[in-house]
Amino acid sequence: MVKLAAKCILAGDSTVGKTALAQMFRTDGAHFQKNYTLTTGVDLVVKTVAIPDTEDSVEFFIFDSAGKELFSEMLDKLWVSPNVLCLVYDVTSEQSFNNCSKWLEKARAQASGTSLPGVLVGNKTDLAGRRAVESAQAQAWAQGQGLECFETSAKEMENYEAPFHCLARQFHQLYQETVEAFQALV
Amino acid sequence: MRKFDLCLNSEGAEVILATSSDEKHPPENIIDGNPETFWTTTGMFPQEFIICFHRHVRIEKLVIQSYFVRTLRIEKSTSKEPTDFEQWIERDLTHTEGQLQNEEIIARDGQATYLRFIILSAFDHFASVHSVSAEGIAVSNFS
Ligand SMILES: Nc1nc2c(ncn2[C@@H]2O[C@H](COP(=O)(O)OP(=O)(O)O)[C@@H](O)[C@H]2O)c(=O)[nH]1
Ligand SMILES: [Mg+2]
Repeated sequence: MVKLAAKCILAGDSTVGKTALAQMFRTDGAHFQKNYTLTTGVDLVVKTVAIPDTEDSVEFFIFDSAGKELFSEMLDKLWVSPNVLCLVYDVTSEQSFNNCSKWLEKARAQASGTSLPGVLVGNKTDLAGRRAVESAQAQAWAQGQGLECFETSAKEMENYEAPFHCLARQFHQLYQETVEAFQALV
Repeated sequence: MRKFDLCLNSEGAEVILATSSDEKHPPENIIDGNPETFWTTTGMFPQEFIICFHRHVRIEKLVIQSYFVRTLRIEKSTSKEPTDFEQWIERDLTHTEGQLQNEEIIARDGQATYLRFIILSAFDHFASVHSVSAEGIAVSNFS
């Protein structure tokens, strides 16, 4: 039995729903706050996820920039040595999707040479009539970047846990591979 | 006085704290005298472990075998309880692809009852410590 600890960074444009997703995940869907302002919100969400078919778990420390994504020097500090990445865009905003490559690059630069398991999350699927980014388009880009792809609605509590469970599985697998490598050293 | 490896289970040393633990790779592996067994960190850094000698010792040389450890700080205490740690040694290790890091440190002022090893940063998401040995002498038992 092992309990891993993973620093998870939330990346993406302002207002795509990063805080909403993190808070949904934290409260198991109990809270959807309609009126976030850029300055409110918790900086750190801590939550443990069990890995199916094992006794292992991953404790996430989710660093939410809480509006500070506007000030990039603050992000550099908040994002030091990430373990996993949750990259979020808004399916009704093409620009938020286009900016994902910039966010991904920035996050990977912080991982300084180590791999950075990640997921791409298209949020706000409840606004179906305003959709501007097709699933297939996001899927294709995510695949090219080695990211697992999800669509969610924090508002409708749709699928909000799946990206984090996927990150937990990826991180757990990385741990097992690394331990195997340690074992092979001597 | 006889010099020997003070950091061995079999000589009475004990790991009394470790911030990470995988049941399959427990911290006792650090002092079992076998570099094949190891302790792994399981997440974010810093990570640390504390070795208790259960007596007063004087360390002359430390050898740490590890993998992916980047910055290592070692503190020591001369108290009977694991308190009052003072900064002792800090090293930046180099990455040795595919083989264990083998860090030898000639120690000055090596009086100790406890050693605290803090891994401040690593070259990857996880790091391992395969063995710590401390060559030196046992000075006196706790009264
Ligand atoms: N319709 C809809 N609105 C959402 C959803 N997720 C978040 N929002 C709203 O979008 C706005 C910005 O959300 P927030 O979580 O603060 O975004 P952040 O800046 O990326 O952290 C808020 O008004 C939220 O209520 C969603 O899934 N659907
Ligand atoms: Mg926010």
